[in-house]
Amino acid sequence: MVEIGYAALFLALIAAVYSVVAFPIGVRRGRSALVESARNSLVAVCGLVSISVIALVYAIVTHNFQVEYVATYTSSDMPLNYLLSALWAGNDGSLLFWAWILSIVAAVIVLHRRDIGKELVPYAASVVMATQAFFLFLLLFVANPFQLLSFVPAEGRGLNPLLENPGMFFHPPFLLAGYVGFTVPFAFAIAALWTRRLGDEWIVAVRRWTLLAWLSLALGNLFGAWWAYVELGWGGYWAWDPVENASFMPWLVATAFLHSIMMQRRRGMLKVWNMVLIILTFTLAILGTFLTRSGVLSSVHTFAESPLLGTLFLSFIGAVLFSSLGLLYYRSEELRGETEMESLLSRESTFLLNNLLLVGATFAILVGTFFPVLSEAVRGVKISVGPPFFNQVNSPIFLALILLAGICTLIGWRRTSATNLVRNFLWPLVGALALAVVLFAVGIREWYALAAFPICGFVLATIFYEWFRGTSARHRMRAENYFKAFWGLITSNRPRYGGYIVHIGIILFAIGVVASSVYNVEKEASLKPGETMTINNYILTYEGMDNYETQSRQVVTATLSVSNSGEPLGRLAPEKYFHRNFDQPVTEVAIRSTLVEDLYVILVGWDADGTTAFKVLVNPLVNWMWLGGIVLVIGGLLAFWPERRKPVAPKTQGGEGR
Amino acid sequence: MKARLSKLLVVLVVSVILVLATGAVAYAATVDEIAKQLICQCGCNSLLSNCVHGECMVRDTMTTVIAQRLDRGDSAEQIIQFFVAQYGEQVLASPPKQGFNLTAWIAPFAAILAGGAIIYLVLKKWVARGRELETTVAVDSGEGDEEYQRLLEKELKEFAEEGFR
Repeated sequence: MVEIGYAALFLALIAAVYSVVAFPIGVRRGRSALVESARNSLVAVCGLVSISVIALVYAIVTHNFQVEYVATYTSSDMPLNYLLSALWAGNDGSLLFWAWILSIVAAVIVLHRRDIGKELVPYAASVVMATQAFFLFLLLFVANPFQLLSFVPAEGRGLNPLLENPGMFFHPPFLLAGYVGFTVPFAFAIAALWTRRLGDEWIVAVRRWTLLAWLSLALGNLFGAWWAYVELGWGGYWAWDPVENASFMPWLVATAFLHSIMMQRRRGMLKVWNMVLIILTFTLAILGTFLTRSGVLSSVHTFAESPLLGTLFLSFIGAVLFSSLGLLYYRSEELRGETEMESLLSRESTFLLNNLLLVGATFAILVGTFFPVLSEAVRGVKISVGPPFFNQVNSPIFLALILLAGICTLIGWRRTSATNLVRNFLWPLVGALALAVVLFAVGIREWYALAAFPICGFVLATIFYEWFRGTSARHRMRAENYFKAFWGLITSNRPRYGGYIVHIGIILFAIGVVASSVYNVEKEASLKPGETMTINNYILTYEGMDNYETQSRQVVTATLSVSNSGEPLGRLAPEKYFHRNFDQPVTEVAIRSTLVEDLYVILVGWDADGTTAFKVLVNPLVNWMWLGGIVLVIGGLLAFWPERRKPVAPKTQGGEGR
Repeated sequence: MKARLSKLLVVLVVSVILVLATGAVAYAATVDEIAKQLICQCGCNSLLSNCVHGECMVRDTMTTVIAQRLDRGDSAEQIIQFFVAQYGEQVLASPPKQGFNLTAWIAPFAAILAGGAIIYLVLKKWVARGRELETTVAVDSGEGDEEYQRLLEKELKEFAEEGFR
């Protein structure tokens, strides 16, 4: 079975290279048989990589410890779900998983019947297969998941216990699927440049793909944040670790892209800029993969420090940037549009600022992430760039971005008159100011919170105001009842209203982030059984320690009874356990979570005399973040969901404004 | 509009100053506040206050030193300097705002300001071009409810016919 897996990868590489070449040649020379064979070859790649994945999963599930990967990441006592997650737990497996998703995506592209962008598909498929070939090459010659050991170990090492969390099952695949998904819009952009079909076609063809990849990356990061919060036990969800940054950057640039393609679609503007954005998104997605594998920056996510793999990834990134930007430069004359605008005060302007801030935030994160390398090169001094830097630099940028989302909603396309502006802004602004006064009155004094919460309130107010206007307009015009009018409004333009719902999700998320970072309280205490500690209104009484054993772990549990303002809330039992195969003890935190705040208890350690050390945190509004994430996904799916619509040909050579 | 953009510039400049100024605020002198400004030197690369390695001797030593020195009456600044002398600049959670490190603090805002200036110039050019072509579609942006209704219906109708815009 192992040999089959490896052989399938080898055949897949040959088939992928064939597709890369046969697609463009077939189309250029008008030989449909050649194009057809390239298509079949591409579908064969998907089949072959799938066989390879099945072979590895089979080796994992049947505990074939002679396979080095299986011995390193699994053991025979692991439950099935974690056995399956071992597919992406290590370097080689995650690259195989990447190649697999990419091959599925490629097959969907060529098999999907589309009305728009048909002519681009062969070229885009060729670009996707080139990327596919790169990953297959790595799997065959640098990171082979089917590498055999010279002996058969009796037992495997097992999954790192920190990874034994439901988050592990979802975080990596969603993240990787997001990264992989950005290959599609990139490939269509290159195809558009290649074929000189530089109108709206490629943008129409990739909007939903980009949205799906963007959504997947967002979900991957949310699962990662949730996992860090419940599993790592330091009380936070985001540490600005280089690899977290690497997954955040392509997401930010893709967000900019999703906004700026609306400008091209409506006004024929920003054609070159959209190309630049998608090239950047794809490059940054690959950069994340490079960072986890090169050992250039130290990170909690480091898979393997393989200089060879790092060099290959860096060369790939270099080649992608050089060739795609070169091609873009070569075609830039043809992309130049006669852009004209009626007014500076228009939604167009706010979109440009939105792009500036999103790319600016990305740049800030990029600078911070790589500054240690730069400092060492320039000054020869090792430095660290940690959370204080990123928080200080990004907070004002993100706040401005959120404010812009509100302003944008109220300003019309093309131009807005002063009276209109005043009328639209009045009530949301009054609401925001009222909120600021109320917050000040209840004792909120930190300037960041005093700025952030009213801004969030303002944006929410603008969205609801917009919905209210739309609903009542339909109510009047069509004599529908309000509910029906609202439903009709939302479903009549899902991308638009899905987008607003995504904004609401982001606002909820932002409220959670601001509250939990500005108003979190933490306290450490060493208690003997029977003793109590207080934090805010909570009283925690230490009852005692217990320990038990499972097949692979020795678990120590400390039980505390908790009350809030005198009302008993039951018990919390933070744990610490020692895994058979891993030296590091693992902390299992206990969290009592409500919509208002989380009580977060960490068992730090204990002495022989029974004194036990705890770290206790109260983190306000953390659940709002997860709630915001759910809303974001709902909005994203609404915007993504296919429309039933009679097809109308798009402008193939755009340029004139509408 | 000009006024609005210059306001935006002011906001950006002020945020730069605020960001730079926060470094000058006196440190709150608790173990945890100081631990939040240092990187644990056990190799975990997280903040000293966030290191979750169970048996992390380095973390325990560092926090003990902070506690002892605070008891002795050292200021937060002195304690941080002590760690810098021992481990080098890399023990600081963020680069000090001086010398070459200022590049990292200023570059993002400088880039945004430069980008903002470019956008402003480009927009001005586009608007000037739009004024020349004033005879083209003179869409009035809705003044009243009826105008809003008309625009909304137009928008939704166009979407139904032509897809996302």
